[in-house]
Amino acid sequence: MAKAQNNKLMTAAEAVLRFVCDGALVGMGGQSIGRSSMCIYHEMIRQKKKDLTLVGCNLSIPMDMMVGLGLVRRTECGTGNLERFGTTHCWRKAVEQGKLENEDYSHLAMVTRFLGGEMGLPFMPIQSLLGSDILNIKSNFTGKKFEIINNPWNQGEKVVLLPSLNPDVSVVHVQKSDEMGNLIIEGFLTHEPEMIRASKAVIASCEEIVSSEEIRKYPERTTIPYIYVSALVHQPWGAHPTSVYRYYQHDPEHMQEYQKCAREGGPAFQGYLEKYIYSCSTFDEYLEKVGGLKKYNRLRQEMMEML
Amino acid sequence: MVLWGKKMSADYTLNELMIIEAARYIQDGETVFVGTGMPMVAAMYAQKAHAPNMCFVIETGPIAPQVLPVPTSVSDPKGMHRAAKLGTLREVLGCLLQRGMVDVGFLGGAQIDQFANINSTVIGDYQQPKVRFPGSGGANDIASHAKRILGICHHEKRRFPEKCAYITSPGYINGPEGRKRAGIKNDHPDITVVTDLAVMAVDKSTGKLQVFKLMPGVSFEKVRENTGFPITASPHMTTVDLPTEENLRVLHQEVDPEGEYLGKED
Repeated sequence: MAKAQNNKLMTAAEAVLRFVCDGALVGMGGQSIGRSSMCIYHEMIRQKKKDLTLVGCNLSIPMDMMVGLGLVRRTECGTGNLERFGTTHCWRKAVEQGKLENEDYSHLAMVTRFLGGEMGLPFMPIQSLLGSDILNIKSNFTGKKFEIINNPWNQGEKVVLLPSLNPDVSVVHVQKSDEMGNLIIEGFLTHEPEMIRASKAVIASCEEIVSSEEIRKYPERTTIPYIYVSALVHQPWGAHPTSVYRYYQHDPEHMQEYQKCAREGGPAFQGYLEKYIYSCSTFDEYLEKVGGLKKYNRLRQEMMEML
Repeated sequence: MVLWGKKMSADYTLNELMIIEAARYIQDGETVFVGTGMPMVAAMYAQKAHAPNMCFVIETGPIAPQVLPVPTSVSDPKGMHRAAKLGTLREVLGCLLQRGMVDVGFLGGAQIDQFANINSTVIGDYQQPKVRFPGSGGANDIASHAKRILGICHHEKRRFPEKCAYITSPGYINGPEGRKRAGIKNDHPDITVVTDLAVMAVDKSTGKLQVFKLMPGVSFEKVRENTGFPITASPHMTTVDLPTEENLRVLHQEVDPEGEYLGKED
């Protein structure tokens, strides 16, 4: 039964159980306050997936939660912050206390590493980073972070080679998918296409399920075909408190509430996790706690006015 | 006061004029790579005031959006409004920027040193820093590849150290040939830094920032006191033009109507 084999719909709990192991190299989709797959990350926290290496371009709120819980061994990224909402406090504290390895790259450098990974190549050239301390041998955690070579066709022109990156699993939240996992991403795409195609497994959560018939009728709308996708979780409003283009705006009140708890740390941070993650068995329970339909309708209205 | 037929306004803050002055370095029709914060506000002002055909590029993928006031993040849908294309990070940081198609790279910064290097990574030891900042983001890519680099930040001594503890984004690194030695193809770009006290630009014969405009009513002495390195004045130093009433109207009504940036200090 080909149809049944191709149905990748499952619960967040099952997806995390099957595709995220302790010690995994996890590719994080979304950026800053946009399109983080919070429903999957909450489940990773409930299942206490640990010893993780988190990679991406801008790592934001879910990375900060997992770092604050001590579930992360290492991060590799271009930035850790929430822009106007401030720094990622748990991450900042962990780095400053020497409790977390963080390898710095630029955002183009990170996406270049995923590009190498998605093409099955061991490394990829870039011409950013030259002259900066990102390439300073004294300031890195990796034995061999880069190599500078001469352009073989233009002696004297410097080129930086960066190691490719193939996450064990990537986690993304998208607007639409069919049950097979043909993903449609609307709006900005950031580093996700390269990262998804470079990953050994992909968990995607989505706002809406569309029919495979619709996918096959308009295949040019498919951002990522099903062959890359391992698990699909249908979770409307699954990116809260981050935004999803065409669906809802980010939730500034909740973002500030998290930031306050993360900044304070200790019981305030634990209290946040207890209230919003541990005491909820599903993401739907969490969504009720953060304001339910009333809040959702407001954030949806804000998005509609912007389009 | 009436100057060249335009009504000049004496009722402005240096914070407002900093934004307006920074925008004056963007020409109509140029492609401008913008991060969030003050650079976003100043680029939005340029688009509304004198550069309607400016092509905004934002690192998450938006190309040529008509940005709504005021995005809180590079992933804020306000920065995607009526774009020509919502693409990928590789498409904008790689294809447009690294390829050399971006005229102006517009940056803020935690620290800027005398060679216009920017530190947005760490103060102190890398592996256990005294202060950890967010990191490069797209800033290193922008500083490496944009044809011209424009910076905007408040003028405080701690923001302008003699030497950045960590170079996240290269200016002239350590001298007039610093970029060339490092292998950066765009080896002698114009770098201009606009603050609420002055406009500084890299003197290409020394690779160092020099004051070439003062904000109205600000003395060179005051700039020197608020700069952590020995700064010199250009022999051609002038004063920043006053804003017009129309400039300020656009800034307050069209760019930041809620006063998110103009209402408070950075």
